[in-house]
Amino acid sequence: MTSADILSLLPLLVVATTGVVVMLAAAFYRNHRLSLVLTLAGLLVAFISLPFVSPLTPRQVTPLVLVDGYALFYMGLIFAASFIVALLAYGYLEKWDGNPEELYVLLLLATLGAAVLVGSSHFASFFLGLETLSVALYAMIAYNRSLRRGIEAGIKYLVLAGVTAAFLLFGMALVYAETGTLAFSGVVAAAGGASLQLMVGLGMLIVGVGFKLGVVPFHMWTPDVYQGAPAPVTGLLASMSKGAVFALLLRYFTPVPALERQGLVWVFTAIAILSMLGGNILALTQDNVKRILAYSSIAHLGYLLVAFLASGPAGQLAVAFYLVAYFATTLSAFGVVTVLSTPDDEAESLQAYQGLYYRRPWLAIIFTIALLSLAGIPPTAGLVGKIFIAAAGVQASLWLLLIVLVLASVIGVFYYMRIVITMFRRPEVEAARPGMVGLPRAASVVLGVLSVILVGLGIYPVPVMRIIERTVARLV
Amino acid sequence: MAEVPTQYGIILAAILFSLGVAGILLRRNIFFILLFVEVMLNAAGLAFVVAGARWGQADGQVMFIFVLATAAAEVAIGLGLLLRLHHQFKTLNVDEASDLRG
Repeated sequence: MTSADILSLLPLLVVATTGVVVMLAAAFYRNHRLSLVLTLAGLLVAFISLPFVSPLTPRQVTPLVLVDGYALFYMGLIFAASFIVALLAYGYLEKWDGNPEELYVLLLLATLGAAVLVGSSHFASFFLGLETLSVALYAMIAYNRSLRRGIEAGIKYLVLAGVTAAFLLFGMALVYAETGTLAFSGVVAAAGGASLQLMVGLGMLIVGVGFKLGVVPFHMWTPDVYQGAPAPVTGLLASMSKGAVFALLLRYFTPVPALERQGLVWVFTAIAILSMLGGNILALTQDNVKRILAYSSIAHLGYLLVAFLASGPAGQLAVAFYLVAYFATTLSAFGVVTVLSTPDDEAESLQAYQGLYYRRPWLAIIFTIALLSLAGIPPTAGLVGKIFIAAAGVQASLWLLLIVLVLASVIGVFYYMRIVITMFRRPEVEAARPGMVGLPRAASVVLGVLSVILVGLGIYPVPVMRIIERTVARLV
Repeated sequence: MAEVPTQYGIILAAILFSLGVAGILLRRNIFFILLFVEVMLNAAGLAFVVAGARWGQADGQVMFIFVLATAAAEVAIGLGLLLRLHHQFKTLNVDEASDLRG
């Protein structure tokens, strides 16, 4: 391993070191603000190191990690998401009498896992990244130990993620037994043959990845876990953990000439259609904002699969832009839920949002912007993302998927608008919710910035597109 | 010593894996569910060792060590959650510990 190799791993090393530092700091001197500042500083340094690492790329560091523009772009996105979640979590945990410091250690661990995931080029690093991410998430979901539903959600996620990991591993072992290599490039090259063992192996890999993405028919855990987890952690689950897995999927399954794998294409098409329709239809019956957002995330992963199936440079661009928009939107939506919640009493029922506009006008407007972006209504980033996906779909002539996408989006508008209308409806009784005295300052600033980004990207998406073209699209 | 054919090893691993899946579906006690997750992970580990032996590479065994390590981390958190579950719900039955419905 040369010094250039080590240097190109710098972002990962910084995040890993910060995790250890925050842990040691909490061991010797418990201070919530110190933990937050160390976490933010570490993430910031990792983020700033990305452009400096960029000239060294693309570089294959050991067979395990491939650092290139694609990996660096998604690492940047992950670090930014983590930064926002840390700020949101700070205000949220201030209102709690438990120990908040360890959440930041877990957050950094999850960030490290996700960053390894997007850079991995080998089954071993894929598995290790995924487990680092998952194990940190189990603990984060059940972080409020005194809450029954937190524990329940944690156990549900743990058992399902454990089973998923076993499926993934068994699939990897079968593929390895057939191809003799654990590197993705070798696997993809060798996977042209169609022996039974290889098909079963790939099938199990799809089951494993499907669970992680929470797409129909592997979505059952999503609403329960989203509801039971603390609001900032739910935001992390929805954005980072799904985005990282999707980036990896896109990277290694797209270059395969689609026609060669007719069977797999149909499997993914079916999953995409079921997720888009299923997610949106199931959301209609919900009265719980966190569950609505959970079903909405299922639908959004379905939209992303359309771009994935379109493949090619247009698909890559669409996925990258959509993920940026989706991260900002999701974090903004869960951010609003976070600032209205306390760890022991989360604002999740639709009633808690009734007349929000008359109590907290800015918050209601921010939430409205996020919901408009989720629904894909102008002038927001969500709409531009959907246009990119539709353009990629048209180029690849995926007409069936496009029709479903439009239909599903129309259904989606209905339940997003339901939340918006609730917020602007005057409450019958003026009842002040307890714990609503002051909003945390850091979180409010973050939410404001996210809303500006959402509207800004909706009106003028060019700067982000330039970055995407220079990094992600470089390898296509 | 005669060599064991790869297929036998894979079939054994598949049987273990199926036992794990069946156990998770049938048992309602969280303790046994964690146990069967472990069986599934080790079945995958066995499949890796068998596959590594087929190609004469150490990769399969390396993966097995990774599997062991991460399974240990998973169980550590799993048992922690199990204790909290018992504390909160006074039961280890996962069907009784179900508040989240929508």
